[in-house]
Order: sequence, then C-alpha cells, then structure tokens
Amino acid sequence: MKIAWKEMKKNKAKFLILGSIVFLISLLTFIISGLANGLSDDNASLIKDLPDGQFYMSEDAEQTYNLSSIDSETQEEILNKHEDAAAFSIQRGFVNDDADKQHGVVFVTSTESDFFENVKKGEIVLDQSLKEDGIKVGDTLTNNQFDDEFVVKGFVDQKKYSHSPVAYINTEDYQQMYRVEDMQLIMIPDADDSLSFDGLESFSNKAFLNTIPSFSAEQMSLNMIVWFLVVISGMLFAIFFYMMNVQKIGLYGILKAIGIKTSTLFKMMWTQMFVITSISLILSVSLSQLFNSFAPDGMPFSLSMVTTIQLAIVFFVIGFIGATLSGLQIRKVGPLQAIQQGEV
Amino acid sequence: MSIFEIKDVRKSFKNGEIEEEILKGVNLPLQKGEVTALVGASGSGKSTLLTIAAGLQPASSGQLLFDGKNLTDLNQEQIRQIRAKDFGFVFQSSHLVPFLTVEEQLLLMLEVAETTLSKPEQKKEIDKILKIVDLEQRKKAYPSSLSGGEKQRVAIARAIIHQPKILFADEPTANLDSKRSKEVMELIRELTNTLGITTLVVTHDEEMLPYVDNIIKMKDGIVI
Ligand SMILES: Nc1ncnc2c1ncn2[C@@H]1O[C@H](COP(=O)(O)OP(=O)(O)O)[C@@H](O)[C@H]1O
Ligand SMILES: [Mg+2]
Repeated sequence: MKIAWKEMKKNKAKFLILGSIVFLISLLTFIISGLANGLSDDNASLIKDLPDGQFYMSEDAEQTYNLSSIDSETQEEILNKHEDAAAFSIQRGFVNDDADKQHGVVFVTSTESDFFENVKKGEIVLDQSLKEDGIKVGDTLTNNQFDDEFVVKGFVDQKKYSHSPVAYINTEDYQQMYRVEDMQLIMIPDADDSLSFDGLESFSNKAFLNTIPSFSAEQMSLNMIVWFLVVISGMLFAIFFYMMNVQKIGLYGILKAIGIKTSTLFKMMWTQMFVITSISLILSVSLSQLFNSFAPDGMPFSLSMVTTIQLAIVFFVIGFIGATLSGLQIRKVGPLQAIQQGEV
Repeated sequence: MSIFEIKDVRKSFKNGEIEEEILKGVNLPLQKGEVTALVGASGSGKSTLLTIAAGLQPASSGQLLFDGKNLTDLNQEQIRQIRAKDFGFVFQSSHLVPFLTVEEQLLLMLEVAETTLSKPEQKKEIDKILKIVDLEQRKKAYPSSLSGGEKQRVAIARAIIHQPKILFADEPTANLDSKRSKEVMELIRELTNTLGITTLVVTHDEEMLPYVDNIIKMKDGIVI
C-alpha cells in the first residue's frame, strides 16, 4: 500500500499549495531564463551562431573590437594556414530606405566563408527584422558615407549584434565606406587557446561575447535572478517539508513503534516530493514552451527545450536536497515520543 | 513455561545533574496465553517497564528473554523486526494514522509485519478482525469520524491483526467510559484466549482486574 499516495489524497489542499508554489516559481524561472537567452540572442546572435573556436583581435585594441586592426600580411598568413578561418569586421551605421527613412544597422563584412553571408559589390543582405520595417528584396538603400547604392538581395534569420540588425555587405564597399584596408577580427573554427599569433590577442567564443559592451552585464543580472529563484525553490521545499514533518513527528513515532523502517518514511517523503515536483514541472515546462512559440515577435524570448529540461533537473535535485535535509529529523524521532505526546 | 521474561531490569534517567533510578531490578515472567496486569500508583514505573519490555526504549541493565533471544543484545534493526512481527501495541491514545481508513490501518500493519498473505487473504483477515472488534460497518471510515471507543477498538485490531506473540497495552481503557472500558477489556481477554496471545496490560482501573490471570503490583520501581 502506498501511504505516500494516501496522505496526498487525504490532504489535497496542503499538497496543492506546495505544488502551485513550485509551479509558479519554476514557471517564473523558465520565463526569465527565456528572456535572458532571448536578450543575449538579440545582443549577439551574429557571434553566438558561429562555431566554437577562437577569435583574434590586435593586442593594441585592448579588447575593443572596433579599435582592432589586423594587417593584411598576418591575415593572409592565417587564412592560408587555416582553411575555414574567416576575417571580418563589424561597424555600427545606418541605411536609408526609398522613403529616406533611417534604419540603424550593424554592417558586417568578411572574407569568403561559410559562416557569413558572402555578398557581391553593391548588394546587401539584412536581418529579417528589417523586413518587418517594410524593406523588401530589390529595394535600394543608401548610406551617407557610401557613394553608390545597395540593392537588397535577401534576408537572414535572427542575426543581431549589440541589439541591432546585421547588414552584410561586400568587403570593397565596406572599405570604401569606412576608409580602412584591414579587417578587425579573425575567427578560426575548432581552434583552442593554444593557437596564438604575434601581436594578436585570442578569445574563446564566450570571452569574445563578453567584450561586447552590455552583454555580460545584462546576462549576469538575469542569470543571477534565475539562480536566485532556483535557490529559493530549494529553500521552499526544505521549509515546507520541515513544517509538515514537525506536524507529523507523533505519527512518525507511532509508525516506528509498530515497526515501520525509517527508510520507508524517507521513501514516503521522497515519493511525495517527486510527484509534486513532476506534476508542477510538467505544467510549467509545457506552459513556458507554449509561451515560447506564441511570444510576440518584438519580445526577445528564446527558451530551448534543452535549457528547460536542464533547469527542471536542477529543480528536482534541489527539491530532493531540500526535502532530505528537512527529513533528517525523521531519523531522530523515537517511537516513544509519539506515545508520550498523546493523541495524533 | 514463560514465553517472555524480564530479568533484573534497571532503568535510570538523568534529571539534570542527578541520576534517578526508576526501575530498581524488576523480575517478571509472562506465561503463554495469559493476561498479566501491571498495577500500582502513578509514577511507580509501570509505563517505563512496559515500553522497555516492548523494545521501545533500552534498559540500563538486565535481560529481556524472548524466543530464545536476549533483546538487550540485539541491534536496533533486529528489535524493529521483532516489534513488527511478534509484538502488538495498544496505548492510552489510539495513535491511528489520520489519513488511512480503518481498513487501510490494518492493511498497513499486515505489510509492516511482512506477512505473506495474498491480497484476498489479507482482505479476509481484515474482515475477520473487524468482525471481532465489531467495526465491520466502519471499514471505510477515517479516524476523525470515529468515536473514542471505536478508535481504541481499531487500535486493538491493528495490534493483533498480524497475530503477534505478545500484546503490550498501556492503560488501553484510560480514555473510555466504564461501559466501553469493559468491552475493550473483554475483547482483550477473549483475543488472548482465542488467538493464543500473551498479554501484558498496565492499568489502574480496578474493574479490569476480574479479566486478568495475574496481577503484578509495582511500587517505586520494584515488584511487590
Ligand atoms: N524519559 C524520561 N525521562 C525522565 N524521567 C522519566 C522518563 N520517563 C519516565 N520518567 C519518570 O519515571 C517515573 C515513572 O514513570 P512511568 O513509568 O510513566 O510511571 P507510571 O506509568 O507507573 O505512572 C516518573 O517519575 C517519570 O517522571
Ligand atoms: Mg503510565
């Protein structure tokens, strides 16, 4: 007979309260985690979508990518040695559409590479968010530093940098606009930090992301909230089970007196914790995934199933630890305590 | 022949700095199939002796001989097994599990005692015991809806359903009126006879005494 079930059936309200609190906290955690990830995509999907490897900028740039300049000899040497490496540059700017309306973009240009859009002279490929601003394929765009015009060649899905849509342009056009010859950055896929070059500072993907102003600040505060909520939910479990266990000391005593094993009492508590957490998490995971697919377009929200499941597992572990810690008092209960305490 | 024997059991409690000896060398044999009553003034050590005998707390010294074993030599787990399989308990309060029905209380005890009954056999056994304690109609009731007398009868049913060898009862009628007390006492008497149980019952109710085989009087931690 499952006494854990029987108790939950008889005391529905008590367990429903615990369940709904776990549900609300986990849902809030998932939503904030989705926002953190959504914002980080919005801030840096251009970089996040690149494969793991190493990024290089000139040492004298002091970790500020738009001060970096890698001379063409070094670039040549590296690109020759590493086939799928790419040199690229990033620069904030504007484009004006047919109606002379200004749109903030981040111009990106690169050497030929699978990881970037390779654009012909006079052409431009834009992040799809500009489509929503009314720009269409075939439109011509201008820029006050650029003598020619750009023809919109197409759109790419979710390529953002520093919260702005990316605009891929040809290297020659870029050099003309910004009057520079050299590229700012080189990225080598699959490389690790043992690969170094004179005069260049190397960064892992993560380290490079953190050189983007605002990126680490944004992520740090959101992640702090996420972990804070996780810890709170663990404490909640501990406190809730502690209070329930205190109420049940007499019961535990009598159950021990008639010969129930302490381990059975622990299993009873774990079963209850497991059932409540499972139901609450199934609900909050589904709801947050639903939110993920129906979130309004303008809202930076991105919650992968993997992240959700990982967080759900953390909730389980935390709930287990919380319940177990508070359950340690079960071990101390003597069978006599109940009998001397009177009516249970 | 005695089935259970308490031999020179002593028990002291530390009360702050001073150590007080509550049991001062008690000897008491229990005869198989008999009801033994433990009487004496409040504070004479009856409950302490009963709970020590029942393996609910350790003695400071002495022996508890049962089934060829000395309980004071056994570890906690071994004592738990004996409590689960060979002992039954009834106390002043019924101490029922609040979220189990009458039927489930008994089922739980059968499981704890690790009886090897099949599901239908368990049901039959439960029905049989409920008939004996006259609670067939309250099978599905939760303790909160039972009267004091009914609760105590459930507690007795729980104490004997797994056919223990020894029944320990500490003032089982203390919370009942005299009519109900008599019924409970008759029940214990009857069960001891029909099931061949050996019973040790603490009481200070004179009305109980006609139902018992032996009366043991305690005073200040010794049997007189
Ligand atoms: N756990 C304990 N700690 C300290 N003193 C105790 C404890 N249990 C019982 N006593 C003392 O032992 C004495 C006998 O108690 P008890 O066995 O309950 O007597 P009775 O059941 O005969 O009324 C009492 O004075 C009581 O205060
Ligand atoms: Mg007493």
